[in-house]
Amino acid sequence: MSKINLQDTGALFQIAEPTGPQAAPRAPGRGIGIDLGTTNSLVAIAPQGAAPRVLLDVEGRAILPSVVSYVGERVLVGAPAMAQQAEHPERVVSSVKRFMGRGASDIEFTHPYQLVGEGGVLRIAVGDEPRRQVSPVEVSAELLRALKQRAEAELGGPVDGAVITVPAYFDDAQRQATRDAGRIAGLKVYRLLAEPTAAALAYGLDRGERGVFAIYDLGGGTFDISVLRLHAGVFQVLATGGDSALGGDDFDRALARHLLARAGLAAPDRRQVEAARIAARALKERLSEADSARVSLASLGLVDLEVTRAEFEALIEPLAQRTIRACKAALKDAGHSPAELDGVVLVGGSTRVPRIRQLVEQVFGRPPLTDIDPDEVVAHGAAIQADILSGSERPGVTLLDVVPLSLGLETMGGIVEKIIPRNATIPISARQVFTNYSEQQTGMVIHVVQGERELARDNRSLARFELKGIPRLPPSMARVEVTFQLDADALLTVTARELMTGVKQSVEVKPTHGLSAEEVDRLVIESLDHAGEDYSARNLAEARVELGRVILAVRRALSEVGHIESLLPPDDRMAIETALREADAAMVAVSAIDDSEAAAAGLTRAREALERISEPFAARRMQRALSAGMAGKSLDEIEAALAEEGLDARRGGHSAALIQDDDEHGE
Amino acid sequence: MTDADYFGLLGLERRWRLDRGALERSYLERSQASHPDGFIGQDSGVQRAAMERSSQLNQAHRTLRDPVLRAEYLVKLGGIDLDSSDPRTGAPRPTQDFLIEMIDLRERLAEGDVSAVREEIEARAEQSFAAGVAALDRGDVAVAARELVARRYFQRFLDEVDASEERRT
Repeated sequence: MSKINLQDTGALFQIAEPTGPQAAPRAPGRGIGIDLGTTNSLVAIAPQGAAPRVLLDVEGRAILPSVVSYVGERVLVGAPAMAQQAEHPERVVSSVKRFMGRGASDIEFTHPYQLVGEGGVLRIAVGDEPRRQVSPVEVSAELLRALKQRAEAELGGPVDGAVITVPAYFDDAQRQATRDAGRIAGLKVYRLLAEPTAAALAYGLDRGERGVFAIYDLGGGTFDISVLRLHAGVFQVLATGGDSALGGDDFDRALARHLLARAGLAAPDRRQVEAARIAARALKERLSEADSARVSLASLGLVDLEVTRAEFEALIEPLAQRTIRACKAALKDAGHSPAELDGVVLVGGSTRVPRIRQLVEQVFGRPPLTDIDPDEVVAHGAAIQADILSGSERPGVTLLDVVPLSLGLETMGGIVEKIIPRNATIPISARQVFTNYSEQQTGMVIHVVQGERELARDNRSLARFELKGIPRLPPSMARVEVTFQLDADALLTVTARELMTGVKQSVEVKPTHGLSAEEVDRLVIESLDHAGEDYSARNLAEARVELGRVILAVRRALSEVGHIESLLPPDDRMAIETALREADAAMVAVSAIDDSEAAAAGLTRAREALERISEPFAARRMQRALSAGMAGKSLDEIEAALAEEGLDARRGGHSAALIQDDDEHGE
Repeated sequence: MTDADYFGLLGLERRWRLDRGALERSYLERSQASHPDGFIGQDSGVQRAAMERSSQLNQAHRTLRDPVLRAEYLVKLGGIDLDSSDPRTGAPRPTQDFLIEMIDLRERLAEGDVSAVREEIEARAEQSFAAGVAALDRGDVAVAARELVARRYFQRFLDEVDASEERRT
């Protein structure tokens, strides 16, 4: 959850020289790398510069199924937990990663669990006597604890700290939840590391590569694409993108539907769908090796079918193409063409599908790098980074990662003012100064959102809080500075303070739940789908706000000094009043226009006309304010007068200070 | 509370023309030295200082690598903040003539001569930008500010034209 801290703003931007990178090693070689996956988790080590290796459990298995059983007194983790799943589906928790950092109302997928904790922290009820409830963070902590124990056995002593990987697309709440799970498991979390970045690290360090690389990561349920530049000693993520609701599971479902249709089963029940899905998964794996394969549907009481690879490939083609679109968008964000890349790395079990390899090769114009097991490569990278951060002598590498989604504030008209753009290198901070709209305004609602859409309501709400006690100052004289700070784990802190007076603010924080990965994707995909529509909507909202502001400023000036003839000759006055009436009419007329582009154009024309006609009046008032100043008026009075003139001067700016007034322009 | 000068932060001369290679080298070198990863395990004040310095470097790099942001930043260092509406230190108001010109351009666009108008605005944006940069080289911040504000108007106009064209196709 975003932290709001208003008391301690002074220190945030003091510039201090760091004392230089860590000199004394802490516990070299005792750092571990953990790939905490939706389906499977792994732990790896690469102590003191050694090549990374995945650690095995006592039975020789590398993969820990991400499953935790709360059936008995003792909590079971991994394969033994999985064995109890069929019998006690509601008390054996799998795919807990999908619940991380989310509220009960965010859970829209089907699952066998009884969720509790409306509006607050989400919990899963996993027993009745005594009634047990566990949060997703605690479930993840069980997995981490098991992996930590495995590492301790291997290292013959305590673990110093861990690097835990997260999907590049994890938002603030999901990252925070992952970090919390590490702490609960008794791990010092050195760093959260984006999964594709970890994969790049595994490849890059082993080979001493330099250049620009793309990481294509297709897992069971998510797809990530990252573009990185590798320099000597620095890994710089240039762009990241993806689709967190697209993975190999979708291939299985598409194939299952096809099997059922071919077998002539028009209305399968739930059990049949599930059986078909399991058969489809096995078939998919065989079709990665063979051109055609036979699938047994005996468990469904159906005849066996012969399925060709071409058939399968036709089914998954639309899904595969979706990943390619995301690749192209990420390349564009990174400012590189496919030909400029030096390599493309495949990560995730679903990249074993030949059609995927073929498409990736086509798009990037070169065969992909696959020589590290795609299931293990993320853990390898995490282990390397953990070894470095443990203070070992390993040649250091600095990871410059990016924030996956833009962060912004809601401003007048429901428009989002982007404060930190997506793909900005982290850590990063940004500030925005807000000002008051009228002297009566003493409060301001600050609404923090994450996403790519132009209007706040289409993005995910991260936090909403209210600044109170803004001193009564003339319009646009109060200056509230809001600061966003993203740290190296992409965790957000928001601070705010009033600059003119330094008056301590009281704040009400109304936290909202973190972004789901699905939601993140939906937002990005929608922003691509609705780019045109969004732009028009934003334009219309802006045009309305701007015209309203000009009308108000002109009216106010008229009522204050309009009677002074030297400032406003009668002819000018008539012209201005006519323009005002026309502007009012344009404001009214706009609601009847369906085409938001035409509506915005009408408002803009009216504003430009009103500005042009009232410009001489404004110039004379400015002159008068200046002369009044020389005649001994106080500086504040001049500034107030000038500030009013300047209210609409920001129009040309693409990221200007915006005025938010929760009294008059709240939703 | 002031920003560190981004040029000084990256050890570069404070002017618009810069060596991209030098910028990248300096940024990477300094980022390596101050990235929070290098300070894990040290006390929180040291870690915080590293985060703040890295943030500054990332912000500086983001600003200076972009020719337009770099020019606007130089204007800001000269005392005029184009993102502010403050009458003394904010973006200069466009003149009435300029506003009339924008209205004319909109009318011509509405009449349908999209590609010719687009080309003209593109040229005007480039001209304003070049004039702004030339003014910066002379140290004339006021003129630079005026030209860069004009460039923003033209750019905004181009974005609108593109968005509406994209919608039509």
